[in-house]
Amino acid sequence: MDLNLRGKNVLITGSTQGIGRRVANLFAEEGANVAICSRSPESVRKAVKEIALLADGHVTGAPCNIKNKEDYEAWIDDMSEELGGVDIFVPNVSAGAGMDSEKNWWKNFEIDVLGTVRGVEAVIPLMEQRGGGSIVMISTTAAIETFMVPQAYNAMKAALITYAKQLSQAHGDRGIRVNSVSPGPIHFDGGAWDMIRISNERFYQKTEKTHALGRLGTPEEVARAVVFLASEGASWITGVNLVVDGGYTKRVQF
Amino acid sequence: MKVRREQKIVRTKRQQGRTGTPVRAMPKPDLGHSLIPKERYTCRDYAAREWEKMWTKVWLLGCREDDIPNPGDHIVTEIGPESILLVRQTDTSVKAFHNVCVHRGNRLVHSLHRPQEDAKSFRCRYHSWTYGLDGRFADIPDLDTFPQGAPHCGGLKSMPCDSWGSFVWFSLNHDVEPLRDYLDIIPRHLDPYHFERMVPTRQVTVEWDCNWKASVDAFNESYHVQGIHPQLLYYLDDLDIQIDCYEKHNRYLIAFGVLSPRVISPSEIPPPIKHVMRGAGMDPASYEGSVYDIRSEVQKHKRAHGAEQGKDYSGLNNDQLTDDYHYMIFPNVTLNIHADDMMLFRQRPHPDDPNKMFFDYYMFELPDNEFDRGEYERPQHRQYRHGETSLGLVINQDAYNLPFVQKGMNSAGYDGLWLGDQELRIRHFHKTLEIYLEQ
Repeated sequence: MDLNLRGKNVLITGSTQGIGRRVANLFAEEGANVAICSRSPESVRKAVKEIALLADGHVTGAPCNIKNKEDYEAWIDDMSEELGGVDIFVPNVSAGAGMDSEKNWWKNFEIDVLGTVRGVEAVIPLMEQRGGGSIVMISTTAAIETFMVPQAYNAMKAALITYAKQLSQAHGDRGIRVNSVSPGPIHFDGGAWDMIRISNERFYQKTEKTHALGRLGTPEEVARAVVFLASEGASWITGVNLVVDGGYTKRVQF
Repeated sequence: MKVRREQKIVRTKRQQGRTGTPVRAMPKPDLGHSLIPKERYTCRDYAAREWEKMWTKVWLLGCREDDIPNPGDHIVTEIGPESILLVRQTDTSVKAFHNVCVHRGNRLVHSLHRPQEDAKSFRCRYHSWTYGLDGRFADIPDLDTFPQGAPHCGGLKSMPCDSWGSFVWFSLNHDVEPLRDYLDIIPRHLDPYHFERMVPTRQVTVEWDCNWKASVDAFNESYHVQGIHPQLLYYLDDLDIQIDCYEKHNRYLIAFGVLSPRVISPSEIPPPIKHVMRGAGMDPASYEGSVYDIRSEVQKHKRAHGAEQGKDYSGLNNDQLTDDYHYMIFPNVTLNIHADDMMLFRQRPHPDDPNKMFFDYYMFELPDNEFDRGEYERPQHRQYRHGETSLGLVINQDAYNLPFVQKGMNSAGYDGLWLGDQELRIRHFHKTLEIYLEQ
């Protein structure tokens, strides 16, 4: 099956490490032109260099603080100009979990929610110019089943699923598909579950057993789902929330 | 566990003012690489030599000064087979006595570790022999029925007793050097913390199934963090540690609020480091910087806001505001010292079984503005068997393991301690112990 990503222009936010980085890697391997960002200029430089080794297409990136609207919009404009338009957008950046104070709500709102909304509003006209496009939002299984503690991360990520569905209805007639992916617990070096594996091995093992497939997922496995949904391989799929969790959640999705 | 990052801890080069804790690293002593024989941990003869040559020669920690603040207040502590009665005198000094009635040998005061208030005298419950606060006979009933008169000692047998650092110290050795000489560098290093400002929040004794030195050792190296306390890899640097050995005593300085080079930072600040931030009055959710800068940011924040929180950090350098200045006062006091709290362990030998010990756990906290002296209740001392109470995750992890260490040391398949550089303080401790035993 050809995903037909060669020559497609892809913008991914928060893409120097973790799931976002694996998404960028895979798009690059599939021949797409890829633009990445993170707050640190040094990590962007390093990631661009590394991703370029995998790529046939063009790889670029620039530092960007998603919280800053102008900074963010300028990043989208610059990247779009450099690549020559936008076909695919993956708003991946997140403020992460935490229940330290009310500030967590503001952060998840500003970064997870507004970081998606502002990006979407900026890329939709660019996609329309190219006769269509595809957006994949990154949610979480913590949005669809209770998880750990009541916290802003879970609730704000849930908002993205609803938002994606609405967008898919609103922009379908212009050839723009909008989906979301909800990963379950994912293990990678330097990730939250790497910390849990090291600091609380029993809880980690218990979590592994909770998965129907008996282990935690890898960021590559999430990236494959994201890249598929974004590609023309999923041309007849819009408005879905694809749960990628190895059977971690137990609900039936009708 | 492999080292995943390069990391060099930035340490302050200068002590805080003229009287601050010295920070200079000591030259590494050459203590050789020989095996430490296991018999030191398992053999009754060795334990008997320790008693005769060491425990009865050194200064030992007795109690807190504020356990017995007023004349007549007293407390009993134990070391090996001996029971010691510490009594606040009318002139505010403290005297230490053998807690035994010189008549027929009854323990004079039967309570243990629990402060008693306002005694006017001590009356033996066996035959009512009575002693003044100064230990001298106050009354011997029917003295005229003793043709030989009263015992010539004139009262309770006393022993050297002195105070330093909010603690009362005693020695079973009548010829012991002055306490200050024995403590050597310790007052100069630790006076800036003002332990007298801290209040006790927990006092617990647990009988552990291991030799007292196995416990001392467990807190004298950080090599075991990766195995026993993996959660601390997200709290401290277990590799870049400054170890300083002095004459008898030693210390190491461990950076807190940092990640071990054995782990990589997750995108969310690790919960133990958030705890450090909250302790300083910072909101982790509002922090925008790198996780690797948190230690220095916490130091700056505490320096800037300590006074308004009612905490006087003026005598401490910036590292002391976050890090663990960990001291070992020979032979048996382990101090985890932080600007806002101190965890003190006193390790006492069992009177007759080298496979057992008493682990005294004392927690102290520096009160802030919100501390209400009226509401504050002094913790009651409690004594437990192994496993009956929690001492917090970290100490529980050590406590769980130590009986297995002791069992293993008794195995024919084990020869002794094979120590590496990270365990230098254990070697230094044994060197000091051996010097006492060879005297």
